[in-house]
Amino acid sequence: MAEQDWKTNKGVFAAVSLPTLVWIFLFFLVPMAIVWLYSFGQNKGLTDIEISGTLENYKRATEWLYLTIFGKSFAVAALVTLICLIIGFPVAMAITFASEKWRPWLLLGIMLPFWTNLLIRTYALMMLLGTQGFANKGLGALWEGTSWLKTLVGLQPLPTWEPVQLLFNNFAVVFGLVYVHLPFMVLPLYAALDRLDRSLIEASLDLGAGHFRTIMRIVVPLAAPGIVAGVMITLIPALGAYLTPDLMGGTDSQMIANVIERQFKKANDWPFGAALSFLLIYAMFALIAIQSMRKKVAEAS
Amino acid sequence: MDPIELIKQTRGRRSLLQAVGVAAIGISFGGLAACSKGEGKKLANGEEAKLNFYNWDTYIGENTLDNFKEATGVDVTMDLFDSNDVLFAKFKAGNPGYDVIVPSNDFVERMSKADMLMPLDHAQIPNKKNIDPAYINVEYDLQRKFSMPYTWLALGIGYRKSKVSATPDSWKVLFDSPEYAGRIAWLSEAGDMFRLYGKYLGKSVNALTPADIATIEKMMIKQKPNVKKFHEDDGQDLLLKGDCDVVLEYNGDIAQAMVEDKDIDFVIPKEGSQLNSDNLCIPKGAPHPKNAHAFVNYILDAQVDKEITETILYPTPNAAAKALMPDSYKNNPVIFPPAEALAKCEYARFNPELQPLYEEAFTRVRAA
Amino acid sequence: MARFARTPIAPLEYSRTLWMRLWVGAVMLFLYAPLIVLVIFSFNDSKRNVVWRGFTTKYYEKALGNDQLVEALLNSLSIAALATIASLALGTVAAVMLWRFRFPLKGAIDGTISLPIIVPEICLGVAFLMFFAAVGWPTDLIWPFNLGAITIAHITFCFPFVTMVVRSRLATFNREQEEAAKDLGASEWQVFRDVLIPHIKPALVAGALLSFTLSLDDFVITYFTSGPDTITFPVKVYSMVRFSVTPEVNAASTLLIALTVALTFVALKAQGVKAIAETH
Repeated sequence: MAEQDWKTNKGVFAAVSLPTLVWIFLFFLVPMAIVWLYSFGQNKGLTDIEISGTLENYKRATEWLYLTIFGKSFAVAALVTLICLIIGFPVAMAITFASEKWRPWLLLGIMLPFWTNLLIRTYALMMLLGTQGFANKGLGALWEGTSWLKTLVGLQPLPTWEPVQLLFNNFAVVFGLVYVHLPFMVLPLYAALDRLDRSLIEASLDLGAGHFRTIMRIVVPLAAPGIVAGVMITLIPALGAYLTPDLMGGTDSQMIANVIERQFKKANDWPFGAALSFLLIYAMFALIAIQSMRKKVAEAS
Repeated sequence: MDPIELIKQTRGRRSLLQAVGVAAIGISFGGLAACSKGEGKKLANGEEAKLNFYNWDTYIGENTLDNFKEATGVDVTMDLFDSNDVLFAKFKAGNPGYDVIVPSNDFVERMSKADMLMPLDHAQIPNKKNIDPAYINVEYDLQRKFSMPYTWLALGIGYRKSKVSATPDSWKVLFDSPEYAGRIAWLSEAGDMFRLYGKYLGKSVNALTPADIATIEKMMIKQKPNVKKFHEDDGQDLLLKGDCDVVLEYNGDIAQAMVEDKDIDFVIPKEGSQLNSDNLCIPKGAPHPKNAHAFVNYILDAQVDKEITETILYPTPNAAAKALMPDSYKNNPVIFPPAEALAKCEYARFNPELQPLYEEAFTRVRAA
Repeated sequence: MARFARTPIAPLEYSRTLWMRLWVGAVMLFLYAPLIVLVIFSFNDSKRNVVWRGFTTKYYEKALGNDQLVEALLNSLSIAALATIASLALGTVAAVMLWRFRFPLKGAIDGTISLPIIVPEICLGVAFLMFFAAVGWPTDLIWPFNLGAITIAHITFCFPFVTMVVRSRLATFNREQEEAAKDLGASEWQVFRDVLIPHIKPALVAGALLSFTLSLDDFVITYFTSGPDTITFPVKVYSMVRFSVTPEVNAASTLLIALTVALTFVALKAQGVKAIAETH
């Protein structure tokens, strides 16, 4: 059954659409409209912004410097999303197929770390990864151990241990972002996988397909809506991350959200910050709207 | 945790619609005013016994606010902000109800130019006499029209003694040398970085030109591979953890770290440096201006400021309070650097033309 | 569990296969290693969270005695609870609207509902700052109304997450079930309550968890929508950065973790008893 035309059931449509539309209009579109107007304005004095209809801010925002930062941020966010998907999919399956007794605990287990403040968690993560951190100490001990074993069997010992640079580089940013965004992937996947028609999986296994093939050919396609949702809610917030690159990144790890944040804070250049934000918003809006339109066309034909 | 419970509570579109409706009415008619706090008891000065103080966290004595309440009956609510930038951004929409705020020197200038500050009535602040005269007539606020100094700081190099070949007493080690490659941390504040580079090049921090900024940008890009981190004013932590060995930091922060680690020290480079100062101000539209004056005056009291200084261990501009402090504080060369080093230091003035140029150039440095 | 361990693993018991257990174990280690560090450092005898200086429990006393910290935690939890409940309701009806109906401008409305996710935090924060200042939102209300502006802002950026998750779940719903229920005389409301809600229950759980987490952790938007005397936990923590975050915050976080686990344990036990009572 396709989507219902809204005219056929106006009562229900009003009930589900009014709260949403009123809220979105009042508490999102109206506030955002103020900032949208700023993006066509210019600073006048320290506090005033004159809405002059200028396109100067957008021109500056599309300079090569900022486009490369956009590009890089997108690449990092995409990589983070991919890693989250690879790590998160089996976890979501484990939760789905766990017994009733264990499922709430697994769900809680995934979420609990995220009820601790992001900044504190990030500091703890930095403590693990630092030059004198636990990860390096562990690796160092392992290295010494191997070296000792080698001398034991009469081989040359390994050269002295040099701490690995795990922090303040792009690796640390990706690592930190995966840590922060993993539940954003696991939860939608779990929501989609749960109540999957299990007879299909059983049939596939009965017909001789292996587990891996079954998962790739049956489970993944069935979970596609969940994967799309998961990718969206991981990719987009990862694109907007600023704290992790700030704290864990090196000297070249800025992402677009850091640049935007600085315009609103340190540079006190709200019109330019607004233009950068809205470039991001326009792109995403187009992406989502096109996707929605394509679905509509596909259904109509 | 129980989803059923959650759903039970949210069931019903009707209640949701009602909520939205109430919110909408609240906005159009300001109907929520009915819920506002009733007027509390009045003080002799005609104001209610309340004060909203906007401060950095852990930046006050442990009992200062309680003692103030005991002394005057005024209940102080301390809210927190995390940087001058957000303080300024928030006040752009108007004062949300604060009586006393603590901006740094360049922001005192910026906020007074933006007409956000109330001129102080010096007659209500007799404890002004406790302030070291050197901190009264300062360029960023002549004759202290809008602000009273709370603490001051100097930027310099914090370092781990066992990891440096000699005292790093020149900006060269941070800005123009590969000697400590991979162990250097800079501040992430664009303006401070450019101004200090200016110092290294022998210029005043307030005399940079766009051409200087271009030169410095090139120098920064050249030095960047040797730098490990642009830190958010937590350089003392990087030093303590051993992630970096030479960091650009404030003397007060390094002094705190030195209490815990004897292998750390601080120096103001011989080229001179930049000074910074946090100040007590009363923003325009403060609901309790008389209490605010009383509070500022209370903080400038010698005994009170001594207790604050004991907690935060920053240099105090309060001469009377400093006199009460132990020798370990008064004679600490990190907290109070030698006069000849300080003579070459300057306060940074707020410069609305250069600030965006600093930011953009630093964005390019980061992207390079 | 040991009693059942010897029964052969059925094909669909993925959670009992070895590689799956190893994988989940590794992920849990990844997630909990920093948390363990955090708990250890709550016992650190140092003013800052950086280097181990010896064991102490004084920060627990300090955290519990710190009225502002406790108040900040309570504020954060109240906001998160309110925002989660409202987001669930709003997000669900929005998802039903987008899933069930065909209406003009649907693509645009769909895009708009997802927008709060993409708008950079600082941008939304500034938007709300200016918005609430423009409408003259009162800042001197009594608790909990003083949290109103913050809660409204949180709902706005939380509910699209619920919508996305619920919608992806609805995509797998067999609409014939709904038709069958209606044929049997169920009203729209009954269908919604008895057919649709049970189907999307996992998505509601997921959406609630996401909203709660997002709201609890938000700093920037909260900062810009807060007035005097509305301090939240993240605002407290971020304001400490300049002088190093103290172990007191770790102690408070540890207490919060312990409390969450205990409450869940009690809730699950109670529910278990109820479930058994119902089946017999």
